[in-house]
Amino acid sequence: MRERTDAELVLLARTGDGDSFGELVRRYQRAAYAVALSVTGKHQDAEDAAQESFLVALQRLDDCRNPARFAGWLLAIVRNRSRNLIRRESLRGGEQIPVSARTADPGPDRMADISALRSRLKEALKTLPEIQREIVLLHDLEGWKHDEIAARLGIPSGTVRSHLHFARKALRAELSEWRGHA
Amino acid sequence: MREPVELSMQDDNRVNGLEVLDPGYDRPGYWRSRRAAIMERVAFELARRRTAARESVAAVLSGWSRSLIPVGVAAAAIAAVLVTAEARRDAQPEPQLVLQDILGVEADERSFEALLNSDRTASAGAFMTLVEGGNP
Repeated sequence: MRERTDAELVLLARTGDGDSFGELVRRYQRAAYAVALSVTGKHQDAEDAAQESFLVALQRLDDCRNPARFAGWLLAIVRNRSRNLIRRESLRGGEQIPVSARTADPGPDRMADISALRSRLKEALKTLPEIQREIVLLHDLEGWKHDEIAARLGIPSGTVRSHLHFARKALRAELSEWRGHA
Repeated sequence: MREPVELSMQDDNRVNGLEVLDPGYDRPGYWRSRRAAIMERVAFELARRRTAARESVAAVLSGWSRSLIPVGVAAAAIAAVLVTAEARRDAQPEPQLVLQDILGVEADERSFEALLNSDRTASAGAFMTLVEGGNP
């Protein structure tokens, strides 16, 4: 059976079709999280922002003028929600939930490894501009292709490649330093 | 069993260590549960949209019926009038103009000359009035 396109799913979701919206969530929840993480830098905030963004997207689904470009439209919502979240957090001085408190228990040593690596990666990602964080996470974490990222973010493919190159270079520098000290 | 967490990276390849940033990396079922949480969160909005969609279909149908009924009634009335008029016309015999009738019509006994000589046609105005059938 042919897989429905985003545009078809959006049109069905507009009439309240839960399966269609569920499929959109399945397709883009990871990308939404990656974009939210690239903005907030915190797991819990990224999770909240991604979830809220899906609700906002559904509420405003009639405003999505080009349903075929749902992904780009959704990620723009995620970005805005994440920025708003940071603004609110900075106003009330939010604290970060430690990674170790949220993860299941895969064994103390391994958990410590993962936790340390996560923290370091997040620190390294913070040194990048937001657009580079977003692109490196969408490409290297979510497996999106250059052209997909370009189309969904509305920027040229060459710009995506360029951002990715510089992001990786910066990350390598940051992480090599950390590995050298570890 | 997962491989030990190790950071490896080449300049033109993906940053391998990044997968630990995926919350599902060490939590199987994470994304499924997130999806369920999102669907639970949007359930009310989906229900609202379903209701709105149903109502909009009903509204379209009732809107059609609201405008169609008077138009239908008017069309039926016009059709009835036309049919009745047609039937009435059919019931009346066509006036048959037969050549014999035309030939049998007697000419006015008054001749033009007699008219001209009449006292009643002394003036042009009186003559015209008489010709058109009025009294001078």
